[in-house]
This record gives sequence, C-alpha cells and structure tokens, in this order.
Amino acid sequence: MDRTEMSRRRFCQLAGSGLLFAPTLSQAQMSMSSKLTAREVVARIHKNVGVPWRTPTADEFKVGDPDAPITGITTTFMSTLDVLERSVAAGNNFIITHEPTFWSAADIVSDVRDDPFYDYKLNFIAKNKLVVWRFHDHWHAHRPDGIFTGWDRAMGWESYAAPSDNPFSHEYVIPETSFEELAREMQAKLKTRSMRLVGDPKSKVARVANAGHYIQQCMQALPHVDVLLVFECREWEAAEYVRDAIAAGQKKALIQLPHEGGEEAGMDECARWLRTFVPEVPIKFIPSGDPFWMPG
Amino acid sequence: MISAQQLLERIQKHVGVPWQSQRADGFSDGVLQGNAETIVTGIVTTFTPTLEVLRKAVASGKNTVICREAPFYSRGERAPLFWRNGPAPPKELVDNDTVCRAKQEFIAQNNVVILRLCENWDARENDGQLRGLARAFGWEQFHVSSKKGSPEYHPHNVYFSLPNTSLNSLAQSVREKSKIQCPRVIGDSSSSVQKVALTHGVLLVAEAERILREPVDVVVAGDAVEWEAAPYFQDLVTAKKAKGLVLIGHEASEEPGSGVMAEWLKSFISEAPIEWIPAGEPFWRLS
Repeated sequence: MDRTEMSRRRFCQLAGSGLLFAPTLSQAQMSMSSKLTAREVVARIHKNVGVPWRTPTADEFKVGDPDAPITGITTTFMSTLDVLERSVAAGNNFIITHEPTFWSAADIVSDVRDDPFYDYKLNFIAKNKLVVWRFHDHWHAHRPDGIFTGWDRAMGWESYAAPSDNPFSHEYVIPETSFEELAREMQAKLKTRSMRLVGDPKSKVARVANAGHYIQQCMQALPHVDVLLVFECREWEAAEYVRDAIAAGQKKALIQLPHEGGEEAGMDECARWLRTFVPEVPIKFIPSGDPFWMPG
Repeated sequence: MISAQQLLERIQKHVGVPWQSQRADGFSDGVLQGNAETIVTGIVTTFTPTLEVLRKAVASGKNTVICREAPFYSRGERAPLFWRNGPAPPKELVDNDTVCRAKQEFIAQNNVVILRLCENWDARENDGQLRGLARAFGWEQFHVSSKKGSPEYHPHNVYFSLPNTSLNSLAQSVREKSKIQCPRVIGDSSSSVQKVALTHGVLLVAEAERILREPVDVVVAGDAVEWEAAPYFQDLVTAKKAKGLVLIGHEASEEPGSGVMAEWLKSFISEAPIEWIPAGEPFWRLS
C-alpha cells in the first residue's frame, strides 16, 4: 500500500468517525441550525446553473466527505493552502474553488502521489475536516458566464460589453483613453501586482478584447480591437504575436494579467449567486490574490 | 558554400546525441520556413524569430535563423498537454492573419530560412541553456556540481550556493543581469536565501519535485503554469518548506543559451558568419 492510499484511508476514517471533530464556536453555532451537506449544496448548484450537467467535467468533489454537515462556504479562485487556512479561521469547512487543489488541471493525483507535500496538504484538509469541490466548467457555461460577469463588475465595465460572434472572446468599447491609463486603471481595480504590457503607452485605445489564454482567440480578436487582454497565456503566443503586429506597423497593444487577475472576481460573483439559494450557512469569498510580485 | 540542408546535417553530426526527428505532436527540429536548398549567407541564433530579429538578420546579410520557438506563435501542437498552451490555430486563420502574412512575406521576399533547434540541443549531455543562463547571472563560481563524474552543466546540476541575500535582492539582481523589467516572484521579499536552483523554460511540478529532493530556498525559472507549479510554490511558501520562486520570463531564461549555441556552431561551421541576436523581453511594466 502506498502512502497516498494510506492517506486516503486515514482521511476517510477521520471523516467517517467524527472522533476528531472538535467544534469551534462558529461550527457549534451553525450545527445547531443546519444539517446542510456539501452534496446538497452541489445539488442546488446543478439545479440553478441553468445548463445541462456535462460529463466528463472537472466540477467534482476533490477531497473530503460530501455528506458531512457544513459550517460555512468559501468561494475562491484557487484553493491554495493559504486560502484553506483562512477558511478554517473563518469557520468555513466547504471550499468551492474555480481552479485545482493539487496543482494539475484535473487534480491528477497520480502525478503527485509520491510527493510528501501532497500528503502535507491532504493532511491539513483531513485534520480540519474540509471538503473541496471544484466549480469551473459549469460556472463558465452559465449564461452569462459567471466568471466574466464578476470581472465586468470589478472593472465597472458592465455597460461597455460589445456584441461578438465569438463566444470565447469578450469585447468592450470603453471611453477612449491612453494605453497606459487603461493599464493603471485595470491594475488598481483588479489589485494586480504582476501586470505585463506590450505596446506604446501613449497610444489611444477604446476597443478591448478579453482573449482568454490562447493564440487562436488572440488571432480571432486582434483585427477588431486596439488592446488584447489575456490572463495567463504562454509567452510564445500572445506576447510575441502582438510584438510582431506592432513591428508590422499595426497600432495594437497587449495586457497580460496573472490568471487570477482575469478570473478571481468571478468567484466573488459566485458567492453572491450562491447566497440567493443557499441561505442556511455563511458564504464568504476569500481571494487567493495575485500569486506574484515584481521587484522594484 | 553550405546550404541550409547541409547546415542541418552538420548540426546532426556534431550534436552528440541520436537525432530525434519527430515529436508526437507539434513542430520537430528542422527547417520550418524557407527552402532547405538555400545557400546560407549567414546564421543568426535567437530564442524566437520575431519580425525585428528577422529584419536585423537580413540587414546584416544573414538569411538563416536558428531558433527554439516557431515563427507563428504556436508550437504547432494540435492537442497540447493539459491545456498548458493553446492548440495550433486553424491554417485558414493563420493564412488570413495580417500579422502572420506580414512575416510570411518578409520571409519569402528575403529568402529567409528558419531552422528550429530545441529538443536535440536540450538532449545534449551539457545543458547549453543552463550554462548560458548561469554565465549571464555571473553564477558560474557558485555552481554546485552535485553529481560527480557528470559534465558540469548536466541538466540535473541545477544547484547554486550563493552568498546569503534576501529574496528581493536576488530578484533585483537577476532582473539587472537579464536586463528585464518583469520578473515575477512568489515568496516573502525579506526571506533570507542562499541555496538556489536554476532552470530554464516552463517549470513543471514534476521537475520542481525532483529539484526539491535536495534542500533549496528558491527556484529560478522562466515561466510556470499558474494552476500547476505557481500554486505549488505558493503552498510550499505557506507551509514554510521553500522560500520562493522567481520567474524571469521565458525569453530571458532561454536567450543566453542562444549565445552558447552560436559559439558551439562556430566550432564546426566556417562557411558563414554566425551571430546571436537576442529577441529581448517582450514586456514592459508600469512604473
């Protein structure tokens, strides 16, 4: 038996026995009023998301006992150890995360099962009786896309959205400004510390496309817009594309955000949405924040 | 006189490892653009053949560019692993794209040949990319050759024992040495750091796990997937199991190796001038 299986078994024992359940004040308070489980919350999400549930999907329970009573819900972009610790401090034992917990797209545990640090995080989750469920595919599939709704709200751009034929591209027409001013505004509103730019800071810009992560969306959007926005895109794709567009004489620019900067606000939106149909427990958005800083 | 095809064959003869001619998906090493029968007037090595690099090459009379990344912003993979990068855009989209067309026309008009040399270069016993980066940082004196009997820059010899400094000072230092604006750092800026692992390109979790089998304060890399190695290091820092991660950018991490490649080519190519032209960091940041 390898370590991972032992960890899992230990976790199941912990989760099933309830022997190590040491209620905090908030947990005790909530357990008086609620027997709501994570599985029941997810069933309500299935019912309210407004699109048929897909298989396969990343949106599954990743760790923990879905049938244990929950004390509170955290929504977050990324279930980092820091977010898990802050959830425990807030009295929330159910974590709804947009991105993975175990550092791979599909939480492919076989990739990390020999890593003692996998056990470390798993043990933290078990010790604190946390349940983690991922909400990625269907929050994007919700109409309107819950992630973009939150981002538009964070930017105050709800009224600037322009119609687009491309469902992967979200385009905006904003009041004309300079590229540098746009970047400053976005940096402040999204509280990002690691924004990277390509293009002339003084150029006048009004049309912006959120092109996601990949070069295909960039190529589809660039002809219509002054500024491409990507949030995490490999550096041989968008940045080199826009650099060449400028070298070829086109007036174009690129804002490259951390992945978190493009999507985190969508999990604040998720908390707002959940409160409309999960009244029994407190629901808190806990930002994982920009992972990066840049030296002065 | 030497043709691009003969140049490729000469490289294959000198690379010192069995030539891997096919990747399962995406572009392989070899001629990506231009006619292989073209006579080489001069060779430029670079990280990526930007339009500006191509112009500089042609302006200096050199028609052959040897690079790691492909010219049209994709590695040509139809099904990239785990969505880490984008799939190759459809041919029709690329053919009609004004940026791609401008570059394509420049390549055609100037009889430029673009030759990819990446996997085979990286398969060598001595990691030229790592050596170039260590030299650019001035870290050669701090290199810990942990595997006795291996060549000094064997791909696993990534450890450097630096004079004690803060994470912020380390990041400042590599920023200055790489002449970049946008290194990105995970970790407490005031942490004290001394044992550093240096890698190039995209750092994957599996590589980080291997590196961290030895005690390391900080890993310096090019880029990281932001749902893989980046949160892995966020979590390591939270758990106080590492001090941090410094990402200097893909270009900055790979470019010095293009300089090493130019020197290596000069050791067996005498028919044409050879020059390293760095593509430079694509980004700037707000002050």
